[in-house]
Amino acid sequence: MNESVERQLYEIIAKQSGIDVATITPQSTLKDLGVDSLTAIETIFEIEEHFGVTLPDRDPNFDTDSVQGLLTALQQALDGAAAAPDAA
Amino acid sequence: MRRVVITGMGAINALGHTAADTWREMLAGRSAIGPVQAVPAEKLRAKVAAEVRGYEPAQHFDDKRLPMLDRTSQFALIAAREAVSQSGLDFRQGDLGERSAVIVGTGVGGETSHDEAFRRLYGDNNPRVHPFTIVRVMANAPACHLSIEFGITGPAFGVVSACASSNHAFSQALQTIRAGSADVALAGGAEACITLGLTKAWEAMRVLADDTCRPFCLQRRGLVLGEGSAIFVLEEYEHARRRGATILAELAGAGLSADASDLVLPSQAGAVAALRRALKDAGLAPEQIGYINAHGTATPANDPSESRAIREVFGAHADGLPVSSTKAVHGHALGAAGALEMVAALGALREQAVPPTANFLDPDPQCDLDYVPNAAREAKVEAVLSNSFAFGGLNAVVAVRSLR
Repeated sequence: MNESVERQLYEIIAKQSGIDVATITPQSTLKDLGVDSLTAIETIFEIEEHFGVTLPDRDPNFDTDSVQGLLTALQQALDGAAAAPDAA
Repeated sequence: MRRVVITGMGAINALGHTAADTWREMLAGRSAIGPVQAVPAEKLRAKVAAEVRGYEPAQHFDDKRLPMLDRTSQFALIAAREAVSQSGLDFRQGDLGERSAVIVGTGVGGETSHDEAFRRLYGDNNPRVHPFTIVRVMANAPACHLSIEFGITGPAFGVVSACASSNHAFSQALQTIRAGSADVALAGGAEACITLGLTKAWEAMRVLADDTCRPFCLQRRGLVLGEGSAIFVLEEYEHARRRGATILAELAGAGLSADASDLVLPSQAGAVAALRRALKDAGLAPEQIGYINAHGTATPANDPSESRAIREVFGAHADGLPVSSTKAVHGHALGAAGALEMVAALGALREQAVPPTANFLDPDPQCDLDYVPNAAREAKVEAVLSNSFAFGGLNAVVAVRSLR
């Protein structure tokens, strides 16, 4: 896993949820971190804006999913964007 | 206390251009959700909507008037003409205009005009905004146009509470007539919200289904936007009786509440409060309710929360109580939702048949009520509740019953 991507992701989550970045672990869920549903949507938007990617639509448990889940989705989106640079 | 009855109804939406067509399609469970046409589908993730089809504004409005009317107001006028015609009332006779009110809910007002004006300004760099933009966009426009059309000079205004706007409008009209401030009210809701801007905004909330609307079922993926209007003639009971009007049903009560918690996550307690207040206001016992038209948006969060609330209020009666969401067929028309669903409530009362929850696949263990999956059912229905729970946690439940 690209460490800088992980780092940037943690910083976005920390900023959105107003918590210390050091408290975030891959196993934390957004719920554990005190991120409510609307903030979760906003956090995903900020991640998309920052990395210029589109994450898959939220499944019913997206906001209770772990940070690792988000990171995996992000990495897949980044790999997809790199593989198909012309895709809209 | 003065009682309030319904003596006219009109509707236009994806299911049809009249209330009768709307009810027929609801009962058949034929979904009007299809590929979106109003906006370029390639710009959307979820490419479906429940749009009004085969609609020609020029068949309803002359060249002079049409430029003043956003699609939202057009829909409200068409629905109101049908309702007023059914009621047989002429508001220009005697002092009826003065003794009547207009209360129309909308979620976003003249969204089509708004989107188009700003697309020209920002997108085309065209510095000229159409001078009628303001009068088309304002959220009170549907109420204004109804008052002008029929010559109604009593209390008239718009009501705004997102997806509960129509039910708040019914509630307000009910109180206005009960209090003696009017004898008749045109009440309902109107929405025409399927624009690129607003659809993208809904998309960003990640609550839109990309296949279809499947309330309460395991495979539900969210809501599908709809549009339209339904308007009803509410009338003080003695006023209706004296003139020999055909009474469709009694608007028996309304229950309102606010969650005062999360902006978007529905609260079971808020829904329970609104349901209980509606029953109390209508003087109905839970066992008297024979059908609930659910809010049933088909979002992951709403459906289990609404189901739990119904179970909490109705106890054992919940097991034998049909609950369906007609949003599966007419989509979520936001501020017009409760008004379209009033067509379902009145249909169930008058025909003793419950419209189904269409597009239903498999049950979700979190949703354990009788959702009348896919096929309508005959049922003994003495009274109906219709639920609307809005973003912002603003809840409104209305109760209608057969006139005893």
